[in-house]
Amino acid sequence: MKNFIFSFLALLLLPAYMSGQAIKGKVVDGTGMGIPGAVISAANSRTSADTDFDGNFTINAKEGEILKISMLGFDAVSVPATTGTMNIVLKESSDTALKEVVVIGYGTRKKVDNTTAISSIKSEEITKTKVLNASQAIQGKAAGVQVISSDLPGSSPSVVIRGLGTALGGRTPLYVVDGMQTDNINNINTNDITSYDILKDASALAIYGTRAANGVIIITTKKGKGDKVSVEIESFAGVRSPLKKVKMADSNQYASFTNSALQNNTFAQNQPVNTDWFDEITRTGSYTQNNVSVSGGTESIKYFFSLGNYEEKAVLNGLDYGRTTFRTNNEYKISKKLTLNQNFSFTSTKSTPKPLGAFTNAYKQSPIVPVRFADGKYGVSRVGADGLVSQTGSAFNNVGNPVAQLDFFDEEQRSITLQGGLKLDYEILKSLKFTSQFSGEYYTWKQYNFSDTKNIWLAANPNKVASDYEKEFPNANLNLLTKGREQYYNWNLANYLTYNKVFAEIHDVEVMAGIETSVRGAREKLTIARKNVNTDANYWALKDVEYATNITSYKDEVFNEVKLASYLARFQYKLMDKYLVTGTVRRDGSSNFGKDYRWGTFPAFGLGWIISKEAFLADSKTINLLKLRGGWGKLGNQNVPLNRASYTSGQNAYLGGSILNEGSTINSQIDPSLSWEITKESSVGLDFELLNSKLTGTFDVYDRNTSNIILNTRPYSTSGITNVSPAHVGEVSNRGYEISLRWDDKVSDDFSYYIGGNFSGNQNELTGLKDVILSPVVGGGLGNGQDTKLLDNTTVGQPLGSFYIYEYAGFDAANGTMLYYNAAGDKVTQNVLNATTDKKYVGSSLPKTNYGVSLGFNYKNFDFSVDGYGTNGAKVYNGKKAQRFSGENIEASLATDFWTASNLSASNPAPFNQVPVASTYYLESGDFFRINNITVGYKLPLQSTSFISACRIYVNAINPFITQKFSGFSPELNGDGNPYGSQGVELDAYPTLRSFVIGANLKF
Amino acid sequence: MKKIYIATFVLSTLFFTGCADDYLDVDQTESISTDDVELFNNDAGATQFVTSIYNKFLNWDMTSFGWIGLSSITSDDADKGSSPGDTGTDKDVLDNLTYNASNPSVEGIFNANYDGINRCNQALNILPKLDKADANLRARLAGEAKFLRAFMYFTLVKCFGGVPIVDHLPIPGSDSDRIMQLTRKTSAEVYAFIESDLNDAIAALPEKSAYGANEKSRVSKGAAYALLAKVSLYQKNWQKVVDNCNKVTGYSLANDYATMFRPAGKFDSESIFEIYAQGAVPAKGIEGYSNTQGARGAGGWGWGFNTPSQSLVNAYEPGDVRKTATIIFRGTTLYDGRVIPTTVENETYNYKAYSSAYTDAWETDVDIKYLRYAEVLLMKAEALNELGQTSEAIPLLNQIRNRANLGATPAVSQADVRTAIWKERRVEMAFEHDRFFDLVRTGQAKAAFTADNNKVFVVGKHELFPIPAAFLKQAGTLSSQNPLY
Repeated sequence: MKNFIFSFLALLLLPAYMSGQAIKGKVVDGTGMGIPGAVISAANSRTSADTDFDGNFTINAKEGEILKISMLGFDAVSVPATTGTMNIVLKESSDTALKEVVVIGYGTRKKVDNTTAISSIKSEEITKTKVLNASQAIQGKAAGVQVISSDLPGSSPSVVIRGLGTALGGRTPLYVVDGMQTDNINNINTNDITSYDILKDASALAIYGTRAANGVIIITTKKGKGDKVSVEIESFAGVRSPLKKVKMADSNQYASFTNSALQNNTFAQNQPVNTDWFDEITRTGSYTQNNVSVSGGTESIKYFFSLGNYEEKAVLNGLDYGRTTFRTNNEYKISKKLTLNQNFSFTSTKSTPKPLGAFTNAYKQSPIVPVRFADGKYGVSRVGADGLVSQTGSAFNNVGNPVAQLDFFDEEQRSITLQGGLKLDYEILKSLKFTSQFSGEYYTWKQYNFSDTKNIWLAANPNKVASDYEKEFPNANLNLLTKGREQYYNWNLANYLTYNKVFAEIHDVEVMAGIETSVRGAREKLTIARKNVNTDANYWALKDVEYATNITSYKDEVFNEVKLASYLARFQYKLMDKYLVTGTVRRDGSSNFGKDYRWGTFPAFGLGWIISKEAFLADSKTINLLKLRGGWGKLGNQNVPLNRASYTSGQNAYLGGSILNEGSTINSQIDPSLSWEITKESSVGLDFELLNSKLTGTFDVYDRNTSNIILNTRPYSTSGITNVSPAHVGEVSNRGYEISLRWDDKVSDDFSYYIGGNFSGNQNELTGLKDVILSPVVGGGLGNGQDTKLLDNTTVGQPLGSFYIYEYAGFDAANGTMLYYNAAGDKVTQNVLNATTDKKYVGSSLPKTNYGVSLGFNYKNFDFSVDGYGTNGAKVYNGKKAQRFSGENIEASLATDFWTASNLSASNPAPFNQVPVASTYYLESGDFFRINNITVGYKLPLQSTSFISACRIYVNAINPFITQKFSGFSPELNGDGNPYGSQGVELDAYPTLRSFVIGANLKF
Repeated sequence: MKKIYIATFVLSTLFFTGCADDYLDVDQTESISTDDVELFNNDAGATQFVTSIYNKFLNWDMTSFGWIGLSSITSDDADKGSSPGDTGTDKDVLDNLTYNASNPSVEGIFNANYDGINRCNQALNILPKLDKADANLRARLAGEAKFLRAFMYFTLVKCFGGVPIVDHLPIPGSDSDRIMQLTRKTSAEVYAFIESDLNDAIAALPEKSAYGANEKSRVSKGAAYALLAKVSLYQKNWQKVVDNCNKVTGYSLANDYATMFRPAGKFDSESIFEIYAQGAVPAKGIEGYSNTQGARGAGGWGWGFNTPSQSLVNAYEPGDVRKTATIIFRGTTLYDGRVIPTTVENETYNYKAYSSAYTDAWETDVDIKYLRYAEVLLMKAEALNELGQTSEAIPLLNQIRNRANLGATPAVSQADVRTAIWKERRVEMAFEHDRFFDLVRTGQAKAAFTADNNKVFVVGKHELFPIPAAFLKQAGTLSSQNPLY
């Protein structure tokens, strides 16, 4: 340290007694534009200077002394100093990789010097596909990053990076938005994003320690640039409709099938009503987005403001979503050494959700039921003696009227997210920088849901009148209003030093060390349900009215706060621009865990060799870049089930009178040694650029192992403890490979094109389980008593998210009954199946491989691009089809092709009237390939003097085509995002949409 | 300027290394930490840990469907009932004595009683720490916990024979505690443990009369003596039965048998240990107890399980008032005027589970009277008879018969009086969860099941239920299965 300070002082003092003179000049690029920020150094005089905004510089140096002029992205030049105004032309570096910078967390690194696996996605890629959440836009664009998204407005896609390594812990990657560490980026306007960097391998991730196991996505938002005010406007409008529909049986097909199932003639032929329920509950969706941004800079301030608005009328009737974002990012250069960055964003959302169960009901409800009867009452599934639907007939299924369901569903949600921070950079010495960064986010949410209980009952019972309700349910609610409120405040503070110096011209050393704390504030949630409110929504909250007697539920929750304290350090070394070494270490302490188990150390290292800089390749025309890199690291996932000993309350009892006595006990036996899940990963990668950098590509292989995944275990039966206890019991392995290739060529000034693609495969497996009493994870429930997924002691050797169901064995040719294989391999009917022995693991809802392709060209003022995405190896469960047990509707394909005594060769079994067991009959391949986006744009030829400096208009087709094997609506089923929940099960699922968009970008 | 930053950095590093660990101590807000014992350090707090034990008796797994299955449907008093196709998960195999070690009801009862025992152990563990609560209160509460723990071990030993004795809170990771939890003790050891708990309870508990109106269901000294008598009865310690029955004082037979099982009969003069249920909102009753046994089908209100058998119907002598107080017959009118239509699916239902005010509710006001003074008289009569004092036994038996509107017993010889007492126990205590165990205890089981539709009771096997397979899997070599399962 002393040496540094000394040399710093020396630097300050030297010019005073040097006999140098002021050398002036200008640094320009090939077009003659001044280059700001270029560094001019005079080796002998030991002076240096930066160019100003116009590229001008002044440096104290002797005439004839060699000046070295360097700038990122340009080839450095050395020229002798002259007394006249020097004019120095820098040539843009031909090595494109040299220019590119990746964000590595607590700093950046030139891409070529990076030893880790990071996928960087640029802003134009993110805004090309017109969707709300940036993570949906990057689907198929980064190898090894699997995005399962839903077109439901406001939903968050699942992002799985290099395979799933946890069963009960958090699965989402850590998002770092301008330094703020958060779980969700729904509040970020994609137009404000300048880069989206995905840290994939452990060697890159370890700097985020105990929160890095699911990967880290670093999002950087835009800053002002240039020296004049620039205004950009982007607007688009689009229409949306389901990409694929399922053709259902019509009324007469329904009637004959159902009669066949019931073996009678309940339903008449020649039905007068033929309702297409899907059409009745959907509309052509529409959405618009408008953004304005103002940016620019002066010598001391760079500024960026943006305002954006997104409005969507979803395809499901009544479902609307709107989001308004405002952002300011400013950079103040307070002094030569001190820079302050400030960013702030405000996001408000408003939505009127509708139940997705309406899709299932529309699928199941019979077409013979009218939307409304002639008298205006909602249609119901009751059949009269004449075989037609009637208000007074007997019920033939228990499916509600989907239109009534949507009409009665009255809910609104609003949220406000404030996110922002301050970052201070202070240059202590030329080579030593101190950074202090504070970020915070505040979230508030409110919701109401009004259930018109009595009228819902009357709609379902058209043969009853209002007074019947009071008669049949004397103490029941007339209606129920639920109000929810939620808020939290999270923040983090990081302080770190970065030291960067080149010794003896060949040893390039960068060291970063710092401390950080992250606090996830206590989430507060209030939910109140009140019965019998005024029917006019304006009068739900009157002044000075006491509602206590009408409260049916009052929940006031404050969830535990989580704190993290961390030390972090990184060492990066580059020898002769060829040999790269990186080492990182982070030590994290988490309040989630017991005192003796809360601190963990997460080391990693990376090595790189830029082979193309070796002498034997230096002159190669074909190989422009060849880099081998590899590394190892250890990561944690601290977002695991809570493990805190607590009293169980609510075990109340009367002891003889009318006083309800409170009862408490302890009903948990916690494992005090519970801590984060640990993932270790080794990976190797190769980056290359060939044929004048026209062909670029990357290969990666990795092997990651999570050695202590947490599952719930049960204490011994005789302990009497019934609560499960999370413990480290399992081991999960993810092995995979990633390939990316891209060909870029500029044929002429008028025509350039590119074609690229990526392919990645991942093999996921639960490799081991300790011998403990597990509390099985049962999931993928169909709401009719059937579950489709299991994780217990029998799951070893299977991928996570595996379906565990009976194997369908065709149907009995004699009577058309469905048959299943039992454990002995015999074909049996469902009522003799044994649930513990006869089910099988039949594949996972997680794909084994996924791939993306993109191609595009620019011709004169036109641009054209196509992006596609596909997955292989996933299974999906046709949950809505598996629901039918009596009078529900069926698909048209089944209505004409089922077993009867006269149609023994049909492909479907005979109609039946019982809940079918979960079986492979309903399991289908989830493989699909979809064109995600086609864009055609045209830049208006404008005079350079015109007021508008650029204008591009474009049309965009999102998800125009798909090829899929799945017979349902969409094989991309994110569900609740949980591989042991509804992910991969099509039930109450929002369909994938096809959208056509027209829009324009304007620049002033 | 830079000095300030360097200083800040160094200072904050110091701060971190110095007190980062305190910094990470976050108070929990979503549930009450077990560190906060002080919150319970008062009279009301201490009471809560024992209330949770009483609460256990209201649970579905402890006292409802599974328990009905094990203690009643298995016996010759009751049939499965309900629709022929509705097995009630496993009630058909319980009825037919064809259950195995994976039987859900058997496993449920095993686990539920240990759940209750954990609550007792938690209370006994924490009560000494609550030094700001009244010492006398804490002593009484500990007595209650011990009585209730003894009651649950008595249930376990009746069902399973010897079971692991968990007499303190196991420490996770402790090998001796692991062995304690997984090793079956002998029946004799379990009985000794039960007696030791009951003796502690007797020393700590007050008489029933000492409790106020809001605490009548708390256990008393009389309850402990009565249970000790019953435990002695099961061990055939006849003199101890007599001695303990003699100490059950302050109780008398209720005048009207039928009223005992209605709200008006709660805590009557005969009630010694009663599980108390409240149907008024907020209801706290035995979960599903009335509903599972309620009349099924059109005009009914329940699932229709545990129906009185023809064998029981035949067991009542003519004129016995207990018959129509115990059995609901299809097509009759109940005491509250409710007509049971002939459209219900079964001919008979359990009247003692019927709630007039909360008929189809999940939690009703139906109590269970686990210990009544009538049983004390019958136990004493049986013991006296076994001790050869038959003439002293007969008047006790007759007290019970007289209340049921029956004349004096014609039995005279020791053997006849023994049979008469056993028969009297059956009709007096039908559907009070005693019959199956009584059949086994008295050795009548084989004959009784043969008489009840030729059900096969294998001697040497069916005296005990199987130890749940799930437990044996945990225990490995430390415990083994009951014979012939």
